[in-house]
Amino acid sequence: MSMDALARLREWIEPILQNKYSRVGFFIILFIVALAIGAPVIAPKHYAEVDPQNRLQPPSLQHLFGTDELGRDVFSRVVYGARIALWVGMLVVFIEAAIGVTLGVLAGYYGGKVDKVISAVTDMVWAFPPLVLALGVVTLIGPGLVNVVTAVAIVSWPTFTRIVRAKVQSLVNREFVLAARAIGESDLNIMLRYLLPNVIPTIIVIAALSIPSAILSTTALSFLGFGAQPPTPDWGAMVSNGMPQLPRAPWVSSFPGIFIVITCLGFNLLGDGLRDILDPKLKV
Amino acid sequence: MTVEGLRKYFPVKKGFFKKPDWIRAVDDVTFQVFKGETLGIVGESGSGKTTLAKLILRLIDPTTGKIYFDGTDIVGVSKKELRKYRRRMGIVFQDPSASLNPRMSIEETLRRPLIVHGIKDREEVRRRVLDILQKVGLGKEHMKKYPHQLSGGQQQRVAIARAIILNPDLVVLDEPTSSLDVSIQAQILNLLVKLQHDLNLTYIFISHDLLTVRYVSDRIAVMYLGKLVEIAEADELFYNAKHPYTATLLSAAPIPNPEVRYVKRFSLVRGEPPSPINPPPGCRFHPRCPYAISRCRTKEPVLKDVGGGHYVACHRAEELDLSEYTSGLWKIITESRVS
Repeated sequence: MSMDALARLREWIEPILQNKYSRVGFFIILFIVALAIGAPVIAPKHYAEVDPQNRLQPPSLQHLFGTDELGRDVFSRVVYGARIALWVGMLVVFIEAAIGVTLGVLAGYYGGKVDKVISAVTDMVWAFPPLVLALGVVTLIGPGLVNVVTAVAIVSWPTFTRIVRAKVQSLVNREFVLAARAIGESDLNIMLRYLLPNVIPTIIVIAALSIPSAILSTTALSFLGFGAQPPTPDWGAMVSNGMPQLPRAPWVSSFPGIFIVITCLGFNLLGDGLRDILDPKLKV
Repeated sequence: MTVEGLRKYFPVKKGFFKKPDWIRAVDDVTFQVFKGETLGIVGESGSGKTTLAKLILRLIDPTTGKIYFDGTDIVGVSKKELRKYRRRMGIVFQDPSASLNPRMSIEETLRRPLIVHGIKDREEVRRRVLDILQKVGLGKEHMKKYPHQLSGGQQQRVAIARAIILNPDLVVLDEPTSSLDVSIQAQILNLLVKLQHDLNLTYIFISHDLLTVRYVSDRIAVMYLGKLVEIAEADELFYNAKHPYTATLLSAAPIPNPEVRYVKRFSLVRGEPPSPINPPPGCRFHPRCPYAISRCRTKEPVLKDVGGGHYVACHRAEELDLSEYTSGLWKIITESRVS
């Protein structure tokens, strides 16, 4: 990494570390990311390794988080699960942003009929309880992690559209946009070169704040059995698997549950901090 | 360039079932701009100056009216056709910090007009950007900067550079100095005058500051509530204003000369300008005009030639003697010119 890029990275991270909450969030996310990247090294066993001799063992030095009904090491599964949670969270948000930002910029820039149609569709999607709608989509396209990701993204892009639309509306009559039109810039160029770059800080904040709900929705669908299929160590599926043994072996469900909470909390804290830095007036 | 019967009405919605009201921001404005001259447009806030600027640049669509640019009416032309005319017109806005894209470097800001209009050769683009930066008093060191790293005066220089980089015929300057410090104002004004001279530009200079307008303009047009009330050569307008509203503006202008201890001030006009939603019938100025007669309340005056290219929209233009209102300011101008 060049010195310049390093300096710019510091410029980004320093304000995050200065705020108490976003600092906590930052380190939580760093921790989860480290787990995800270092999973093969950190996890003592492979996530699918079955050991029928040691079923439902309580937490011990050998099995930090105990073992599940097939004797798999819960700690190892939780560590590998971080990969899935992060991957799923970011993929969902990426798809959401792609749909939401495109529609938001179009609605905000053109206004009029385009805006009316896009806003109507947005409101319709917005009106459904997201999980119920996602369930519907998953039943339609079938179970599986990728389908769950698609389903969650399809139902939760309206946040992006609404905020980006409002932001673009506030920019579109600014003088630099008028000046761009005066020099003959095309509509597409005005959107890509003048409007979008000015909305990117906002998009980053919404993205960070959307990851928790994306993770929650996908884990909820996995919990219900629609998402990751065994033996994939998805946290939601793990909570679900541990349910029958909850009175005898609470650790099987609890530990993945705790990690879901910690990860979501981390992204929320980080997102709030980013908002204070990048776009203090934003309301999400 | 000729503007003919230009109107822009903005709808104000009152309710779902009610008919909208219309703000008559620009109402039947007709004037000409000659090549190489500077036409000043003055008027108080809300008189439609900025709307007029946006109309001329075709940034908003007029309600009715024609804008002839080099003989072609650019109101009716297609988007593609309009692009060709965009190349020949530039605009500079009031607030330079709002008129530059905060996420675009100065170099990119100045490259865009060239690239949009098909100048793609990298060497040539670079040369022209450097050249224009020099012309507006900036340099190579500003190219990689972003607007927030420049001062207000420097930002306005960039905005001017963007407006003139394509060698336009007409540049509309919408209060280009009002948001700047007084010392910077003078620099920018001098720069504008120099550029006009060097590049043979035609200016439409919009401002509420009479003395500034006078400094740069060959002719001056006065707007009131969306209407053009008077247009004349700069000196003629200052010395021999025929419209009571112009006289009011002149007598109200601050005189920047501490030597002048006593200037007769006339409170010719009381109150605020009426709402442009329901302008008064007849002459729009009549409720505030001390010289109003019954005809002013019913019949709307049109621009009339009173000799020497001096047009006034006032029924009593010929009979009124307004020299006492204007002479004070005139004296100051002539005297301060000598000293």
